[in-house]
Amino acid sequence: MSEAAPDTSLGFQYATAAQQRETVTLGMWTFLATEVLFFGALIAAYFNYRIWFGAEFIAAARMTKVVLGTINTGVLLTSSACMAMAVTTYEAGARRTPVLWLTGTAMLGVAFVLIKGFEYSLEYQEHLVPALNFDLARHGGIAEIFFMFYFCATGLHALHLLIGIGLVAWLATWIGTGRIDRSGSTVRLIGLYWHFIDIVWIFLFPLIYLAGRNG
Amino acid sequence: MTGGTILRCWLALMVLLALTTGIAFIPLGEANLFVSLAIAATKALLVLIVFMELRASSSLIRAAAASGFFWLMIMIVLTTADYTHRTDQRAPIDIVR
Repeated sequence: MSEAAPDTSLGFQYATAAQQRETVTLGMWTFLATEVLFFGALIAAYFNYRIWFGAEFIAAARMTKVVLGTINTGVLLTSSACMAMAVTTYEAGARRTPVLWLTGTAMLGVAFVLIKGFEYSLEYQEHLVPALNFDLARHGGIAEIFFMFYFCATGLHALHLLIGIGLVAWLATWIGTGRIDRSGSTVRLIGLYWHFIDIVWIFLFPLIYLAGRNG
Repeated sequence: MTGGTILRCWLALMVLLALTTGIAFIPLGEANLFVSLAIAATKALLVLIVFMELRASSSLIRAAAASGFFWLMIMIVLTTADYTHRTDQRAPIDIVR
């Protein structure tokens, strides 16, 4: 076995590892641009509802749980910082530290989902879930439209987060057991996905939880 | 990206979160929406530039990152412009017909 092992990490179409790194990063950003438009359509709908229904729509937003929403924003922002630490320590060549940071990231992600679930259960008790138990006589039709938006936007966000938690858990296992290809970009790309989920929430937070708090 | 940079960025995000939540309870009328969106944009830029490493990325990557938001602006501005200017009145072309 005197032959040198072929470099399997570099795709045949690339001249250098730097070129491959640039290309996969560009691919990830292109995917994220489609995700911006995916969530953006919901946010565009929000603005138009807000223009059409005005005060009644904003009044419905006041029924959301602002304390839980603010805590969750803090949890998600912190998870992003953990993810950034995981990527930095991983790229510096460490093995144990990135696994710890990734575990922290995933656990904060799980905490977010649990708090969100608790919030959903409170809203269920208040008969605020459209198509399930919405009390039209008590809350009104405009509030139903707001909560339709609320459950679509936060539900799709939570779905993205669950996928992210799965990816981060898989990543931690693969780094921990040393099965990961060190020359690849997987860690950085999953990091980009996680930060993107954070950015979506950064915009959903003021639109959902902070609207109408001054009234 | 160093640990110190990440820590400072996280602290800035936490301060902005406290700021936006606090301001939301102060009655400023329509300005509340714009202040909260401006703070959200600042937080998103911090995440994009520091955590997502756009600071150290090539122009190509930065352009790709900006493109999604650029198209989103077109979508939101044109849709909102349409809905804000709808009336029950018929357009002159329909009256002629």
